[in-house]
Amino acid sequence: MMRLCLWILLSLLLVMPAAAQDDATAPFIATAFRDLTVRAGPGITHRPTSGLGAGVPVRIIERSVTGIWMRVVLENASGEPAWDGWVMRGYLTLSPNLRLSEVPVNREVSDDDPTSQQRESFRRLYGTPIITPHIDTMRAIFLRGQEMGNRADVITKVGDSVTADERYLQPMSQPGALLGPFDFLAPTLTYFGEGAGEASVAARIGMTSYVVLDPMWADPSQCEGGETPLACEYRRRQPSIAFIMFGANDVQHMTYEEYAVQIDEIVDLTLDAGIIPVLSTFSYSPDNALFPQSLEFNLRVLEIAEAQQVPLINLWAAARALPDYGLDIDGIHMLQSGFRYLKFDTGHDAFYGTSLRNLLSLIMLDELRVGLSMEGET
Amino acid sequence: MKNLRSTALCILYFALLLLLAACAPSGGGDAAAIVEQYLTAKVVGDGDTVRALLCDVLEAEAGREASAFAAVEARIEGMDCTAEGERVTCTGTIIALYGTEETAFPLGSYSVAQNDGEWKWCGEVR
Repeated sequence: MMRLCLWILLSLLLVMPAAAQDDATAPFIATAFRDLTVRAGPGITHRPTSGLGAGVPVRIIERSVTGIWMRVVLENASGEPAWDGWVMRGYLTLSPNLRLSEVPVNREVSDDDPTSQQRESFRRLYGTPIITPHIDTMRAIFLRGQEMGNRADVITKVGDSVTADERYLQPMSQPGALLGPFDFLAPTLTYFGEGAGEASVAARIGMTSYVVLDPMWADPSQCEGGETPLACEYRRRQPSIAFIMFGANDVQHMTYEEYAVQIDEIVDLTLDAGIIPVLSTFSYSPDNALFPQSLEFNLRVLEIAEAQQVPLINLWAAARALPDYGLDIDGIHMLQSGFRYLKFDTGHDAFYGTSLRNLLSLIMLDELRVGLSMEGET
Repeated sequence: MKNLRSTALCILYFALLLLLAACAPSGGGDAAAIVEQYLTAKVVGDGDTVRALLCDVLEAEAGREASAFAAVEARIEGMDCTAEGERVTCTGTIIALYGTEETAFPLGSYSVAQNDGEWKWCGEVR
């Protein structure tokens, strides 16, 4: 009997470390739900290096800054790595226990490989990171805004119908958010969520970068006489951060030089109000006749963000990896998933433009909140 | 008799002058009519008229003003403006159609200024 007890105890001691190891590694095992191209870096412009068949398990070893791309390794039967490369997270079936906060972030690898592009405009657009927070220059703006009475945990949006869409940013205020593997975004969602639900008077259907500075477009029920929609929104909400995106309407009615003057002025006015402007490039269908012009408009956005050292979301580049560039059937508005709350647990950001934009905006907010130590400044 | 006729003609002449002076638009044009013309031009994107009716101070804004409703199909309904000094108040609504969605912009009060004897539109009243 004594010998039996000892044998059971010994067996348990031998098995336990293996079980513990399985628990520890299981969250990092994923399978693709369709055949995928594996690339040398986290973006569609990086060269293909291999293929991953649907259902084949791979081990996650690191992620891009945004978490939209994962570096995975395929191991052979003896556990040796057969190859490693980058795939889009949205096409992977992940363990529900995966936490991106526990996955190493590769900040060295570039989001895209611009040298693979022939067009100069494409090289410049792909050569700009998906997220550029410019923390150092924004610190002074944020602190000045706090002195002016701006509210650290309040954000707003400025733009046309693509931005006015109630599925953009406003779902942050809705209960039931499913962040999935994006556990590190939870504190940021809690911090900004409550103040994100209100519609902006500076984001309206038909708006352009011209008319956001035209008092005639201001909502008379909320704005004072002679006040522009932009000034009205900033006075009314006193936000610390404004997400700004124009282009879809502008490209039809103005030159890119005129557009640049307007965006520059909007950025100046935002900075003067002690508000951090987060500029964004915009997705536009190559099937649209104005696509060449839209590239020029987007290049102006890059130039202004760089010149003024303000945060930038390169939505154009990120959306290129999505079916139809993340756009709806009109080739202008972003495709929606249909959910009124944030849902990042099943890879919607790899299919729906609005989901991608919400995710990138939340990641930018996270970078700013942490980088500027916003906690305690409400 | 001749003197009496001359005096009567003289009075008639002055009366006519007074009548003409009263009827003539002060400062070269009716301010309310100018604002109505301006708003109509702005809504349809008539750049030449917008430029012609914009006051000197806002000259640099001509491009922006003429493009204000470029992204939508806009029209004005029920416009009626009345002037009081350098302020013109209008009732009516600009209706802007984008896709299938209509947005209404109620008209309000606007500043007018005299440039070279002509009334010009000079922005919203603050």
